[in-house]
Amino acid sequence: MPAAFPFPTNEVLSAMPKSPRPRARFSFSPTVRALFLAVAACGAALPALAATEHEEVDRLMQSGKLDEAMTKAEAFLKDKPRDPQMRFLKGVIQLDTGKRAEAIAAFTQLTQDAPELPEPFNNLAVIYASQNQFDKARNALESAIRTNPSYATAQENLGDVYARLASQAYSKALQLDQNNTAVQPKLAVIRTLFTAPPAAGSKGSTLVASATTTPAPAPAAKAPAPAPAPAPVAKAPAPAPVPAPAPVAKAPPAPAPAPAAAPVAPPVKVAAAPAPVAKTPEPAPAPAPAAAPASNAEIESVVRGWASAWASQDMDRYLAAYGSDFVPAGGQSRKAWEEDRRARIVGKSSISVNLENLAIKVDGQTATAKFRQVYRADNLNIASRKTLELQRSGNQWHIRKESVGG
Amino acid sequence: MADIVRHGRLQTLPFPLRSGKLLAALTAASALLLATPGAALAANNSNSSSSKSANAKTSGTKAAKAGGSRASAKEARGAKASSGANKTQLQAKGKRSAVAADNPGATRPARKTARTAAPLQEASGAEARLIGVYELFGRGKTREALAKAQTLVRDHPNFQLAQLVYGDLLAAQVPPSNAMPDTAGIARLRGNPAMVELHEESRRRLQALRERPPAGTVPSQFLTLSTRSRFAIAVDASRSRLYLFENSDKGLKLVADYYISVGKSGTDKAVEGDARTPLGVYYITSSLDPRSLKDFYGAGALPINYPNPYDVRRGKTGSGIWLHGTPPQQFARAPLASDGCVVMANPDLKQLLRKVQIGATPVVTARSLQWISQPQAEKETKKFADSITAWKDARASGNEAQLKKFYLPDFQRASRKPVDADGVLRDELTYAQGKRVQIKDMSYLHWRDTEDTMVATFGEVFEGEKNGRTRRQYWLRQGGEWKLFHEEILG
Repeated sequence: MPAAFPFPTNEVLSAMPKSPRPRARFSFSPTVRALFLAVAACGAALPALAATEHEEVDRLMQSGKLDEAMTKAEAFLKDKPRDPQMRFLKGVIQLDTGKRAEAIAAFTQLTQDAPELPEPFNNLAVIYASQNQFDKARNALESAIRTNPSYATAQENLGDVYARLASQAYSKALQLDQNNTAVQPKLAVIRTLFTAPPAAGSKGSTLVASATTTPAPAPAAKAPAPAPAPAPVAKAPAPAPVPAPAPVAKAPPAPAPAPAAAPVAPPVKVAAAPAPVAKTPEPAPAPAPAAAPASNAEIESVVRGWASAWASQDMDRYLAAYGSDFVPAGGQSRKAWEEDRRARIVGKSSISVNLENLAIKVDGQTATAKFRQVYRADNLNIASRKTLELQRSGNQWHIRKESVGG
Repeated sequence: MADIVRHGRLQTLPFPLRSGKLLAALTAASALLLATPGAALAANNSNSSSSKSANAKTSGTKAAKAGGSRASAKEARGAKASSGANKTQLQAKGKRSAVAADNPGATRPARKTARTAAPLQEASGAEARLIGVYELFGRGKTREALAKAQTLVRDHPNFQLAQLVYGDLLAAQVPPSNAMPDTAGIARLRGNPAMVELHEESRRRLQALRERPPAGTVPSQFLTLSTRSRFAIAVDASRSRLYLFENSDKGLKLVADYYISVGKSGTDKAVEGDARTPLGVYYITSSLDPRSLKDFYGAGALPINYPNPYDVRRGKTGSGIWLHGTPPQQFARAPLASDGCVVMANPDLKQLLRKVQIGATPVVTARSLQWISQPQAEKETKKFADSITAWKDARASGNEAQLKKFYLPDFQRASRKPVDADGVLRDELTYAQGKRVQIKDMSYLHWRDTEDTMVATFGEVFEGEKNGRTRRQYWLRQGGEWKLFHEEILG
């Protein structure tokens, strides 16, 4: 067997989550963006959202102004040289600007000064892995997990590192030359310090370095339905304890085990918040805005349920995701379409359906979910844009129309 | 009639592995499954993905044919020691000659019977550490097993089986949900045909360590061994194992045993280039300086006297059968890998090199060793010794007709000018007629296959003299009588 492994290239990887559970990736910080967009949607909220310096730095980083971000970070650190959050951000900037050695130094120092933080360990591992030092990457990730066993990004990174190490060991066992095939697995960098609560709802917030934040935005009430931003809302993984890269963590991560708890826009958090930080300014208005974004979460859960039924070849659940008013494309009858779907789904040795860039728009009783669908089955690997139109009937949402593109 | 006692079966020691929940959780660890009796089967029931490893367990001889990367190393002879076997041996490479039934698969996995003996024979060096990994895994200590495996491959990166085990332990840590390209790669690597060889190596190493020779027994070939041979070697091809014995006036004592590889096509070498390891009773004839050898032979080489006179008598051909080491890139080679040589890991070979005596260390290579007790060996010795005594007495009596009965018509004495039966009769009578001769330093090595043979080495001392001849005689039993067909005068 030739020693050719189908490693995707880095470019692909950076655009595509590798695992069925999409994970927080390098290039986005959904909560920040969602927040940003929500804010943009209602300019009035802006002043109240005056960002902390951390946010400012993070925002600069997001927009690619790394030099500026660095200047700000360094200025801040002049005053507060020990601030872990800013030191961490600085390390990420160094990483982004290719200053690996400095980033290693920064993160290493953080692991010594604040060994309870998993994030610096994680990012150290990312750098080590990029240097082919997978043993060191493994050690760092294991430290991250010792620190916080439910830290999903580190867990998944560690899974990748184990897979790579195993692959290397097998190649050595078989004396295959692996040098010419070794494309790095690209591990997920954590962008900001944020520690998820150890167990959903059990304790209050364990926000570590970021509890410095501004009070939860009062304007929550003002950003009601608009959560609409077809923003990268649903990027975050379903599992609750996921370290949604919620940057400065305006609100504690919603400890609710509800899927999509973390990712949704801030108003939700305020609303849903069992508010460990208890800064919720106006509990009263909360319920109102809650309704709309809750729908977002609902839609996401329906869409993910649909994808997972598909991937697990659970035809009953898969077909049940479609409403009675679903119209198959191409003029097929419902029955013919069902047969067709069954034939295409059942019997594949394995299917994976990953959703990326899921954007949800709720409009009363209807909703639209647009996303990039990465479908893999047996030898197929097809990525395409997809739009699902959903309709609420009673408490349930069903797919009314499925179309490619959009 | 002297029948070799066949009931000297290997003892099975309990191997302290616990199969159970853990294994169900770690069916991914394919080489490790082999370490645990019955585990592969159990896992197979619960998880079809492990069927490969289960298959590997039962496809011992197929492993030889898998022709993976390990078999690809050229068995080219070192230039200096070349004996012209090159071409034919290389030509024979692609041939799929039937694999000798080395591995009847008759040995059952460890039975949990009397927990009397030590848990597991202590093995040396890298193998011991590998076994330590297996044991930790078997006790559910996967983290410790992983750590030990990691240091083992760090120290021996070219130990392929250790890499496999390390890979298995790592792969077991990958969450099932991981969809990394590496995960797909892992599945493909596991499906590589060469994996079968590594699994077979694993199985044989464990089997050899689990099933130990009963205390106080010796391979049935070693009836008597003069203390002039301070060491003796016996190779059990079915177990891929070389047993090293120390010899003293108290008899033979097993002091070490090592994993070895034999010919790609198995054993029972018959013709040059058949890529088989000869079966028989041999002696180490020299020790080749590793600096004069290609890297391929590793730490050194110990040629044996294949074809011996019995082989020649039966028309066997070929040459250049050595015990040698491994190339730098391989700590060990597959169970069936060489062109007929016996291949050992370099650290193991180095131990052996310090002990062997040129011309005096016997090497028995057997398909499967039979182990007999010392009293049985003595009984067998006595039966044969009577023939030697009768031969000696006939010679002393000067009765040519009587003496002639001990020689087959095609007898030959090896010397610069080979001497035939008639010549030898005259020589012996001149040499020893009427003298009292004492025989000393006897070594009787018994070899039976389709025929019954004995390789007798001894010294003669005439009364009143200090020295006499040292002989090595090859005897064949015909019609119940032992007869000489070959003789070498060693000094």
